[in-house]
Amino acid sequence: MTFALTLSSSDLLLLLPEILLTSWLCLILIVDFSFPQLPNEQLAYFNIAGLVATLGCLVWFDVNGITGTLFANMFALDRMALFFKMFIVGSTILVILASIDYIHRFKFFRGEYYFLVVMSALGMMFMASANDLLSVFVTLEFSTLGFYVLVAYLREDIASNEAGIKFFILGIFAAALLAYGISLVYGETGKLVFSDMTTVQATPGLVIGFLLIFAALGFKIGAVPFHSWIPDTYHGSPTPVTAFLSIAPKGAAFAILLRMFFVALATFKPIWTLLLVAVSILSMTYGNIVAIAQKNMKRLLAYSGIAQIGNVLIGLATGTKMGSDAMLFYLLTYLFANLGAFAVVIAVSEAIGSEEIDDYSGLGRRSPFLAFSMLIFLLSLAGVPPLAGFIGKLYIFIAAIKEGLYVLITVGLINIVISMYYYLIVVKKMYVNEPHDRSPLKVSGPIKAVVYVCLAGTLAIGVYPQPVTDWVVSAIMIFSNVADPTASLPIPPAVIPFGG
Amino acid sequence: MIEELASTFPILTCILFLPVIGAVVLWLFDDEDMVRTSALAIALLELALCVFVLLRFVPESAAMQFSEHVPWMPALGISYHLAVDGISVLFVGLTAFLTVLIVIYSWDTVRHQVKLYMMALLALETTTMGVFLSLDLILFFVFWELMLIPSYFMIKLWGGGAERHYAALKFVLYTLLGSVFMLVGIALLDINYHQWATLRHIEPTYSFDLLELLSVPIPFSQQILIFWLLFLGFAFKAPVFPFHTWLPDALFEGPIGMAVVLAGLKLGTFGFIRFSIPLLPDASKSQTVVSIIMALGLAAVLYGAIMALVQQDFRRLLAFSSISHLGFVVIGLFALNYQGLQGSLLTMINLGFSTAGLFFIAGFLYSRQQSTHLGSFGGMAKQTPLLASFFLFIGLASIGLPGTNGFVGEFLILLGTFKANWLYGGIAVTGVIFSAAYFLWYYERSMLGPLGKAVKDSIRDLHPREILIASALSLMILWIGLYPSPFLNMMNGSVQALVDRLERGTVASLEPKQQVRVD
Repeated sequence: MTFALTLSSSDLLLLLPEILLTSWLCLILIVDFSFPQLPNEQLAYFNIAGLVATLGCLVWFDVNGITGTLFANMFALDRMALFFKMFIVGSTILVILASIDYIHRFKFFRGEYYFLVVMSALGMMFMASANDLLSVFVTLEFSTLGFYVLVAYLREDIASNEAGIKFFILGIFAAALLAYGISLVYGETGKLVFSDMTTVQATPGLVIGFLLIFAALGFKIGAVPFHSWIPDTYHGSPTPVTAFLSIAPKGAAFAILLRMFFVALATFKPIWTLLLVAVSILSMTYGNIVAIAQKNMKRLLAYSGIAQIGNVLIGLATGTKMGSDAMLFYLLTYLFANLGAFAVVIAVSEAIGSEEIDDYSGLGRRSPFLAFSMLIFLLSLAGVPPLAGFIGKLYIFIAAIKEGLYVLITVGLINIVISMYYYLIVVKKMYVNEPHDRSPLKVSGPIKAVVYVCLAGTLAIGVYPQPVTDWVVSAIMIFSNVADPTASLPIPPAVIPFGG
Repeated sequence: MIEELASTFPILTCILFLPVIGAVVLWLFDDEDMVRTSALAIALLELALCVFVLLRFVPESAAMQFSEHVPWMPALGISYHLAVDGISVLFVGLTAFLTVLIVIYSWDTVRHQVKLYMMALLALETTTMGVFLSLDLILFFVFWELMLIPSYFMIKLWGGGAERHYAALKFVLYTLLGSVFMLVGIALLDINYHQWATLRHIEPTYSFDLLELLSVPIPFSQQILIFWLLFLGFAFKAPVFPFHTWLPDALFEGPIGMAVVLAGLKLGTFGFIRFSIPLLPDASKSQTVVSIIMALGLAAVLYGAIMALVQQDFRRLLAFSSISHLGFVVIGLFALNYQGLQGSLLTMINLGFSTAGLFFIAGFLYSRQQSTHLGSFGGMAKQTPLLASFFLFIGLASIGLPGTNGFVGEFLILLGTFKANWLYGGIAVTGVIFSAAYFLWYYERSMLGPLGKAVKDSIRDLHPREILIASALSLMILWIGLYPSPFLNMMNGSVQALVDRLERGTVASLEPKQQVRVD
């Protein structure tokens, strides 16, 4: 294989969103160093301006159907990549908005905080386009680098330091697994690009290699049994970072997983379906059961996040176009509900300085707005109609039923009931328990904006999902060759031999 | 094939969303009296709309009337499809009627957070209406699930019992457990339709629409599987014995308003007659299914009645008598003949008047003695003659005395059951005897005889608002009891269509579909 690094200007166009964001990153650093007195809000809005421009650029690409590959197939810009990039940039904008107040807790390096957030976002945008194993490794490490620092940003806080160290050590471990896995796969096949691997034979080295790669990506999405970093890291990190960590990297990692399973390993579908079913069942069950016992809101959301990822994995396990459509849809609903829930956590913790579930007592009286929003987000996570989460779960379950994954469905459904239990405990605290302190809570403008956007997203996708389903269905057109789901089904008899 | 009569004016949408829009309007008011008056006005307007639908409803017809159909999520085949037919139209009226009575009852019995209570009640009305009006299974499921949220808050925030938090959570989780299985059943129906439609190039390829689903054959083994999945959903909600354990708790701990809705509106059994039986006729009439469900129904009749016999608390007694009555309904449904189905349908409506009425009576007793336990009553007929008379009258209706509505329904059910199998009928009859026993015995101990020690001297008889509620219910009881034909006429067409469908099985649907548009 030869790498021809000849870049024409039209090729560079494909990189425009990333180039735009990279230059903006440099600008952020310059502005931050040059004007140290610049109020933190203005710096945040400056960041957001750059991200909005990038988002606009992505939308423009999507509308005009600008797609292609670069660097000998290492970098693929297709509509799926565009979807995930928009997902990442959108969530980054919301996270920065939600950070504006929280950032007063950092004594130093407030400007660098934004820089690191945007840098991780940039890394994840590359992840969404990673089309071979090398770029998977590079982009994955690139995006994680920013997070290593962000997680430990509360320097005075022991929990934050613990979170940082845990995340770092386990992250490095995952990176090592990934590198080892890639070397095994390359050694066995001599191939790196996903689309070249469709014809490979299953040798032991290849199997181990892909299992290692899957383990590294499983670490990234926080699926059981690769989840052990999640609770402490989520708990200790600054809350906006937790929110960011719980959403954007998942999207980026699922982009890679989709390419790996649906393109490179399409022929081994019967085998990896079993693997994914097992991981999905473990994630849902473990996440939901452990969530019941949580006393801290962030930990509760951490475990519920593990369970939600288990739900997304159902879509991946189906291995069909419909399943991947449903995954994308589900991720969007998860983005709004989870980010919204974290935004409420940030708002409450700004007002009362606590993230314990007990301190949510009487929130319904102290701040009807926050309590109602939290109710909507939790119900959406639980999958109550007509909120976005319900349509997402429905979509994924229909895709799975079509593939006959009945065990998975049964476990998933029982898990909905379990999850409802602990979400309702929070609801009960908010609405039924007497508040320790009756004073109303003040909510700042930016947080309110985030909550409103998430509320609007959760309600709108639930009530009128059609545009979003159209979008995800067309975004995943590249996989329409993967499986024509109806082709393999038995033909139902025209006349049934009874009852007539 | 079932025809559809579209209407020019979307009256069902108005009925569906009026209460919830009203609930939002209530949010704007601060004055409690203003809130009560507006809530009553909204409930009355809703009732007026429902009465209009009942009057314009074409009786003796199996058609889906006042139909409205708008695609909602074409990619998944979900649509916004509302209509009423002989099966659902009476429930719509009943829901509006009971909501008005609950608002009147709650006028002075709900004292804290009146605004929220009225909002929850109206939201509950919308979701219940949605369950009765939806022809799309996902739309139906949306309302079915949404019902849990106002119910949860009503039990939790306005319940009287000490264990209300437990009861609310139990209610939600039990119902949810059933409905997630139901959702799988619904999805399987969709997939089955999809396979049929793609092979024959029928558009749309996905559909959750009841009428579309009725038009495709379903293999027998699939039918059995889907039947049991739907059964779990409906049985938990109904509740059918042995899935009933949440009911006594919810009815005892929750507020009277909630109990009236839960015990008066038989959503679970409505689900059977609306979806399970017509969609899965071959499974419904298979020997195994019928014998299992008949056994459960008969067990419920006897178990409920025997448990009711030993209850000391009136609300718990009512909860168990409710279970017993539901057993009757289930038996009638799965007799699977004309009389049984008709009787069950009528009984479901009847219970909306009689069981709900008894819950109102329990509420009257509660607001006088702060308890519904037998120990706080005794010989009250002397002090409160009006209360005692209404109590007796509504109670006799619930045990099916000739001349009341209960008799018509129960008689039809027993007739149908004897036609299906004399053994089932024979066992069911004993339930009638039991129900007379537990009611009359309780009545005797609480109302007749010497005055109880706990009865306050200052106890007052019914006040005008309570008389209004009791007499409205009694009027309906007498009307259906003495002159049931207007009600039966409304259901006849649909019940006949259901019987035909049962006879022919799912293959019957292969005839071309006709759509008739009448304005």
